[in-house]
Amino acid sequence: MTKSIKVAIAGNPNVGKTTLLNQAAKTNLKVGNWAGVTVEKKEGFLNYKGCDIHFIDLPGIYTLEPLSEDEWIAYKFIVEEEPDVIVNVIETTNAERDLLLTTELLEFGRPMIIALNMSDEARRLGIEVDIRHTIELLDVRVVETNGRNGEGVQELLDSIIETAKAPHTPKAPTYSTEIEQLLEKVREENPKTPNVPTNGNPAEASPWTSNKRALLKLLTDSDGRFEEKVRLERSYKKNMGDIIKNERYAFAHGFYKEVFRKRRLTNRDITDKIDKVALHPVLGFFVFLLVIFLLFKISFDFSMPFMNWTEGFMTDFLSPLALSLLSHVGAGKWLPEFFSQAIVGGVGFVITFVPLIALIYFFLALLEMSGYMPRIAFIMDRFMHKLGLHGKGMIPLLLGFGCNVPAVMATRTLENKRDKLLVMAMIPFMSCPARLVVFSFFAILFFAHPAVVIFGLYFLGIAIGLLTAFFLRKTAYRGKLSHFVMELPPYRAPRIRTVLQIVWVQIKSFLYRAGTVIFAASVVIWILLNTPPNIKSQSDSVAAYIGKAITPILAPIGINDWRISTSLIPAFLAREIVLSSMGTIYSVDVQQKNTEFHFLPALEQQVEGLGQATKESFMSLLTPRIETMQTTEGDQGLRNVIRSSFTPASALSFMIFLLLYTSCLATVAVIAREGGKKFAFLFLAYSFVAAWGVAFIVYHIGVLL
Amino acid sequence: MTTFRDYSGEKKMTDTPDGTASRSAAQTKTLKDLLVGDSAQIVDFLKENDAVRKIEAMGLRRGKKITIMQKMGRGIVVKTSNSRIVITSDVAKDIEVK
Repeated sequence: MTKSIKVAIAGNPNVGKTTLLNQAAKTNLKVGNWAGVTVEKKEGFLNYKGCDIHFIDLPGIYTLEPLSEDEWIAYKFIVEEEPDVIVNVIETTNAERDLLLTTELLEFGRPMIIALNMSDEARRLGIEVDIRHTIELLDVRVVETNGRNGEGVQELLDSIIETAKAPHTPKAPTYSTEIEQLLEKVREENPKTPNVPTNGNPAEASPWTSNKRALLKLLTDSDGRFEEKVRLERSYKKNMGDIIKNERYAFAHGFYKEVFRKRRLTNRDITDKIDKVALHPVLGFFVFLLVIFLLFKISFDFSMPFMNWTEGFMTDFLSPLALSLLSHVGAGKWLPEFFSQAIVGGVGFVITFVPLIALIYFFLALLEMSGYMPRIAFIMDRFMHKLGLHGKGMIPLLLGFGCNVPAVMATRTLENKRDKLLVMAMIPFMSCPARLVVFSFFAILFFAHPAVVIFGLYFLGIAIGLLTAFFLRKTAYRGKLSHFVMELPPYRAPRIRTVLQIVWVQIKSFLYRAGTVIFAASVVIWILLNTPPNIKSQSDSVAAYIGKAITPILAPIGINDWRISTSLIPAFLAREIVLSSMGTIYSVDVQQKNTEFHFLPALEQQVEGLGQATKESFMSLLTPRIETMQTTEGDQGLRNVIRSSFTPASALSFMIFLLLYTSCLATVAVIAREGGKKFAFLFLAYSFVAAWGVAFIVYHIGVLL
Repeated sequence: MTTFRDYSGEKKMTDTPDGTASRSAAQTKTLKDLLVGDSAQIVDFLKENDAVRKIEAMGLRRGKKITIMQKMGRGIVVKTSNSRIVITSDVAKDIEVK
């Protein structure tokens, strides 16, 4: 029988836990959420030496005295899930800070391994660790690791197996005599030390009898039962919780002095050098602008040729290939129709945006892993706090340009509920690639300078977000702006493989969505368009009937066509569906070209096209402007039909409506989970009103011009 | 630009309910008073609250040597050992240094 081992990875933020997990579990990673909260949960699975190892990456935390949501999650996991092994990852270069968490983990008495990570950085900084002494003092296994090149990972895996096979309790930290004597009294009162009671059920006693954490908890909760405790609290003028906290610091500090040595090295830190510019009051701001400009320029320009190629690959190769195969096997009339309209027209259209989304995720991951992201918060706090917002709120807002859903999740870094809700009310106005998909389609079709229109829309979104925040600050969320505390990790060259793994996980979920929700929506639309059966024209179909019913609401903003209002309904699942629905609806109108399909020449043409796209991508990087969308190309048929049902004014109004209205089920759901159902519902209504209002004004100005 | 009322209402030391900060602000040098490039040592915290507990956990502890790397608006970048921590001036004013 294979033994299964549950391993919790615990450590401070930015110590390289995730990179280490990626090294250990390779590709078997799973990203999800912790039950009930929207904190990302990363898991890894590995079969090693006949054991099934299940890694759980706990959120990066500084302490197990639960102050924030992250700390609660980690604390609850260790108490309730009782992992077989805890891997405590320590950033060797910052060990003194990290040892507080180590001390707290040791109190639980669970089998533990210490991973001294970033051993290469430590060597460079002249930091030496007396590993043998550490093992003596704590009675735990110690492994030196380097997440970046995988050094020590093998040894770590071996240690996990050995520890799981012969589990034992590490030595609990020793505190001052007064505290230890008090704890002895508590132990006498509670001979069978229970596990830390979490929901008032101390019945489940832990097999690890030396659970010091439980004793400490009993002590702090004991009120006036122990005379000495009351006396100690009085003489220190502190409550027991803070006294114990200082005891832990003392232990961590003492331990650090015992085993860590630093040789004097003269080389100055690269991080300090970069920060001289990156955090400079004036230069830093320009660096930020440059970084953001490059992020968008490269994401848009580099991906555009690939997107065009993917679109061509679908419509000129895959679709005719499948159609000719279908006609060979003698499929009827409706199957090829269904295929070209619902599958290629709907799902295929959305898939063309994979290159763009991949690049945006790539750069956001790069920013996050390089350590620059929190610096943006510092630089922007100067402006943000004038609006009554946290600089830290800048990070979720930036992530919002990638996808609103993880952005809403990232608001958990804001400790104050009010600050969190404020930022959450701004995020949905940050335009995501799903919206860009729609913008780029319409802007190219109706405007001479599509790039200007698209940037205008991005800025409009930001402006509405800021106005919303300002309005909320003046009304519902008045009060003091809370303090802010944040670490600036050292700059590190991200491991490209890890970044790519992160991108792949995101793309997988996007493709999954395309294959499920978007596919289903396309099929439903297609069916509704073709019911009741044997209708002469689509405008007699059920879909048209539904669309016509809601058209009056949208008519004042210039959307006076059932085909558009119908496609807006399923777009609530995800905005890009508006195009796939339109693709499905309009492609019925497009005359199918009845050309012969020859496999080999077509394939040759596609390969050639891919080479051309690659060349164009790299060439685009050489120009200083954002080149994307300067030319019109692609599927002319669909574009021409759509062109006839919009005017430039109504197209602009339509884009504004889609920009501002939170037409995204996933975002609304995550807001509901984080901010409550009432908040989510009110926000959805507000975003609809705001979208309608702005679109109305713009449309009518547009008509006058 | 109008300032929010919130910022004018910074509490004075003597306002603390627990009375731990009986010394007046004038006698105590706090981290807030330091300039960019200054180095100092943390002596004590004038309050015990969640913000202080958090920065202690992050590495700004009693006895630690610190250097001010940058100041901008209300933000202060403090370096200690190998970590850099941003705190706002309303937290910095509760950290006594020498």
